[in-house]
Amino acid sequence: MNIELRGITKRFGSLVANRDVNMDIRAGQVLGLLGENGAGKSTLMNVLCGLYRPNEGQILIDGKPVAFDGPGDAIAAGIGMVHQHFMLIPVFTVAENVVLGVEPTGPLDHLDLKKAREQVREINDTYGLEVDPDALIETLPVGIQQRVEIIKVLFRSAEVVIFDEPTAVLTPQEVEDFFKIVRGLRDDGKAIVFITHKLNEIIEIADRISVLRGGEIVGGGDPSEMTEAELAEMMVGRPVSFAVDKTPARPGEPLLEVRDLVVLRDNDDIAVNHVSMTIHRGEVVGIAGVQGNGQTPLVEALTGLRQVAGGEVRFKGEDITHAGARKRHQLGFAHIPEDRQRTGLVPAFSIAENMVLDCYYDDRFSRGPNMLWKVVNETAARNAAEFDVRAPSVFEAVRKLSGGNQQKVIVARELSRDTEMLIAAQPTRGLDVGSIEYIHGRIMHARDEGDGVLIVSSELDEILALSDRILVMFEGRIVAEFDGATAEKSKVGLAMAGAVA
Amino acid sequence: MTYQDPTGKLSEKLLDRAAPDRAAFEDLVIVPLFAVVVALILGALTMLATNVDLATIGKSYVALLNGSVGSLNAISETLTAAAPLTLAGLGLALGFRAGLFNIGAEGQILVGGMATVIVGFSFPGMPAAIHLPLALLAGAVAGGLYASIAGWLRAATGAHEVISTIMLNLISYRLIDYMLRLPFIQREGRADPVSKSVLESAELPRLLSFIDPNLRVHAGIFLMFAAVAAVYWLLFRTRLGFEFRTSGESPDAARYAGMRAGLLIVLVMGLAGALAGLAGANQVLGVLGRATPGFSAGIGFDAISVALLGRSHPIGVLLAGLLFGALEAGGRQMQVDAGVSIDLIGIIQALIIVFIAAPLLVRALFPWGFSKLTKTSKE
Amino acid sequence: MLNKTLRAAVAGTFLATGAMAADFTACQVTDTGGIDDNSFNQTAWKGVLDAQEKLGIDGRYLESQAETDYEANINSLLGGQCDVIITVGFLLGDATAAAAKANPDQKFSIVDYAYDPAIPNVLGQVYSTDEAAFLAGYLAAGMTKTGVLGTFGGINIPPVTIFMDGFYNGAMYYNAQKGANVTVLGWNPDSREGLFTNNFDSLDDGRAFAQNLYDEGADIVLPVAGPVGLGSAALADELGTDKMKIIGVDADLYETDPEKGYVYLTSITKRMDSTVYDVIERTMNGQFVGGLLVGTLESGGVGLAPYHDMEDLVPDELKAEIETIRAGIIDGSIKVGG
Repeated sequence: MNIELRGITKRFGSLVANRDVNMDIRAGQVLGLLGENGAGKSTLMNVLCGLYRPNEGQILIDGKPVAFDGPGDAIAAGIGMVHQHFMLIPVFTVAENVVLGVEPTGPLDHLDLKKAREQVREINDTYGLEVDPDALIETLPVGIQQRVEIIKVLFRSAEVVIFDEPTAVLTPQEVEDFFKIVRGLRDDGKAIVFITHKLNEIIEIADRISVLRGGEIVGGGDPSEMTEAELAEMMVGRPVSFAVDKTPARPGEPLLEVRDLVVLRDNDDIAVNHVSMTIHRGEVVGIAGVQGNGQTPLVEALTGLRQVAGGEVRFKGEDITHAGARKRHQLGFAHIPEDRQRTGLVPAFSIAENMVLDCYYDDRFSRGPNMLWKVVNETAARNAAEFDVRAPSVFEAVRKLSGGNQQKVIVARELSRDTEMLIAAQPTRGLDVGSIEYIHGRIMHARDEGDGVLIVSSELDEILALSDRILVMFEGRIVAEFDGATAEKSKVGLAMAGAVA
Repeated sequence: MTYQDPTGKLSEKLLDRAAPDRAAFEDLVIVPLFAVVVALILGALTMLATNVDLATIGKSYVALLNGSVGSLNAISETLTAAAPLTLAGLGLALGFRAGLFNIGAEGQILVGGMATVIVGFSFPGMPAAIHLPLALLAGAVAGGLYASIAGWLRAATGAHEVISTIMLNLISYRLIDYMLRLPFIQREGRADPVSKSVLESAELPRLLSFIDPNLRVHAGIFLMFAAVAAVYWLLFRTRLGFEFRTSGESPDAARYAGMRAGLLIVLVMGLAGALAGLAGANQVLGVLGRATPGFSAGIGFDAISVALLGRSHPIGVLLAGLLFGALEAGGRQMQVDAGVSIDLIGIIQALIIVFIAAPLLVRALFPWGFSKLTKTSKE
Repeated sequence: MLNKTLRAAVAGTFLATGAMAADFTACQVTDTGGIDDNSFNQTAWKGVLDAQEKLGIDGRYLESQAETDYEANINSLLGGQCDVIITVGFLLGDATAAAAKANPDQKFSIVDYAYDPAIPNVLGQVYSTDEAAFLAGYLAAGMTKTGVLGTFGGINIPPVTIFMDGFYNGAMYYNAQKGANVTVLGWNPDSREGLFTNNFDSLDDGRAFAQNLYDEGADIVLPVAGPVGLGSAALADELGTDKMKIIGVDADLYETDPEKGYVYLTSITKRMDSTVYDVIERTMNGQFVGGLLVGTLESGGVGLAPYHDMEDLVPDELKAEIETIRAGIIDGSIKVGG
């Protein structure tokens, strides 16, 4: 089945989300759709899935124009989408989730799960998905859950499968397996749309590429004839430097010393198991690891947000094992938290208010019981300008900013102060290339000023690009250490999977 | 375009305030306005359904207007009814802002009012300049301490404030029953639970009695306006207010910022209780002059509506308090002039709340009142 | 709750819109419990309705929903629109006195309150309810199978406890006459303490209090708490009248609560309707004088309602004794004060 989009324009009020977009989706091919956050990828795909009706243009399926009145029409026409955020019910089995909404029923509304299981097995065998139809969703790892989503789409006889940022939640190994599945689907004659902002992946998997910027198609072609740099420039609209501008580290004296640290989860499971490490001035230490191996509790413990169960933490020789978040902050800790929407920012507050979220009590910003909002606003405006936060005004609610600009607000707040120790968790997750480049530059700048930097990221590429030293965390322990300059991606990846080198 | 730009100019531009957001304006002004209008229309339909003729319905709404703002006495009654609702509503709004759903204003009004009455009848001969502030203070402190119990339970044990404040309400009813029978509180010669009368030196003086002794508006309205200003200042101008708002919007962010959640919870509940306690003091010093078991009269529950209708903003709460006060005063006139039951006012109040709580419903009913921009779903 | 509200709204609109333009307007402020409480407020309002019918006056009322409404309600009736303002209930005593003193030209009348000293522009309506309650106590003592009677009140105020006094003393008089040993639960006339719901509107309380008394052996219960007693009647309806009978107060509840009318042994009527009517008539004729209007057994201001469905159950002998005692009370040979 082939789909053509012809001159699709979608407006929301005065905002044009897609302008005159033409695109071919062909059976047996993977079309890579590349674009920054906010470039109009999601709107375009929602048009294709029948959620939005375009203001202009038409959709042709095998040459015949169609009009979708809702998602149901698109599904009936054989278009299926695997969303970035899975829509699965955790307490249901795989088979139950797959048939949800199109349950095969017998007389008296009897749910024929046996038939459902058979069909799931059939799809399993055809594409080598290896999913147990009777497993509960909540017991499955993220990579397998994604396959359940794929089965769901195939179960509804989709001929066109759209993947929205499918690799954002996967480990490097899972990505490899996932690519195999995508190729299998393609070879079976399905038409695939692969939406991403990761350049290396799109070059690896796509047969053709279309690049979307500002709602318009700005280029595309055959990936074998294109370089990452060309694609990135197309996507961002200006040349982008990939290699983090990194001078050799000149590590100074030990800054943060962690000895035998033990941290428990909320349910008293051991999350961090006797971890020791030292971070020096002027170096970046990267912690690599698949999510859920204790990185989050480790960062929480180091930033004073989680009680330490054992061991000690020293900062410039001083014992801060049980110091609270504010105390550490005053000592010169900067913390870019993992979850920027929940923890790092108050989405309903203005940029200015967020810019002083953890230093509002400072003498600069308050006198007696009163906040000095004029000073806060001016400082926020200065910081926002300096750190490239793109917003109409500092009174704008942070909620309305893009993810990249939100993260820049946090970075501006944390690094505009005189800091000594930067702890950054997933600092660029979900951000576009331009913002990633900028934030990486700021982190290296902090290092070069003599700060100690600890980076935690599940993006191995990011760890490799930034770190002077790499520690690999697995099941709560540090299982391997690599030199940043010489580390090989494959070896780090193996250590992340628990195969101790 | 990028951060190499001369930052001076850029940062200046960032200090411009954006034009008022259309969506926010709709949310704050148009939705409540429509809610009131729809509620009045549905109120009329209710009357029709109970066989009231159209003339009487018209007469009753004229009476509603007359009784709330139509005369000096009407305005006096509106303000008198609005003062305790606004005071208690401010306390609840403070809690909502900090993410605490305090249902306990009723109990805090009772406990605060009780403390006020005790101080109010206890010091004969004390000059009013000392006695009145002291009585008010007693109400605020007692209400605040009583509410802090729920705050402390939440902070120390995680007990949800909705449950604990409801329980504290029930306790307060019995506590007041009990206290009103204590010999030093109970009025001499009475066997029923009624307190001694507040001394004149502790009364909130009536403001317009020189015009007509029946004008009940009293100095409590100054208390109301002062509390609106104070809560505005606290929420939006102070460090503590910033902490309240942060922990209300995002407890995780508050923790991240090093704010002490437990202390904040106790403080917020204390302040909310103090405002409710002042509402109680306002009633016993300005209106009733004594305490009886039912003197809170459901104000603590109506205040929840007032705080919600006012979107937990001090100015909004004041406007909502005045509206509810007007409905109460006007409702009475409705009963006198048109013979329509006072219960109808309860129905109209409830309908207003329903529509405020369901802005989408209001938008659906009055699509022409709202910009199309907000409708992003499929057309 | 909503149901009640709607019901009240309907009743209110029906009751009050019948008013025509008339030369004389009588206004009434109810106590909490509502104009349709089948009891206290409703009986007083009936006086106005009767006057409306017979004297052609205009009648208005305002319901108090809480104690905070008393003063506000009286105030909204001021300003010359009412020829007489009748406030219903002891609890409105303070508010009425304050309004009367501030507005000496306005005529007031209050049910169940006697000012001492009297206020010149207030006519108090009080009732020797104990005389009728004495008869009810005697009757109940003669009818009980368990030998235990029960009573409870709304609030411990004189207009309530006077019922309980009379009831208690009547039962004791029966004991003295017959050498019986009937006990009365829920009221002690010496310590002035007893069972009180502390409200006049919770039907649930009425049910629960009656249940407690039943559990203690009482088979005849006298609830003195306005509509609260309807809850007790509901319990009697469920248990059956052989296990529990109710004695009504204020109005003849057999008439005002017809659905459950059969559970009432009798009612101690307090004819507020007749005194209210009386007050309106006097005021119309320019005979209003501040002071007291007392309803007695003799004047018919208080009395015992017919037995209705229980007519055959009450022995003729007992009926005769009651009539004898009634005469004794009226001629003063029997003192109801215990």
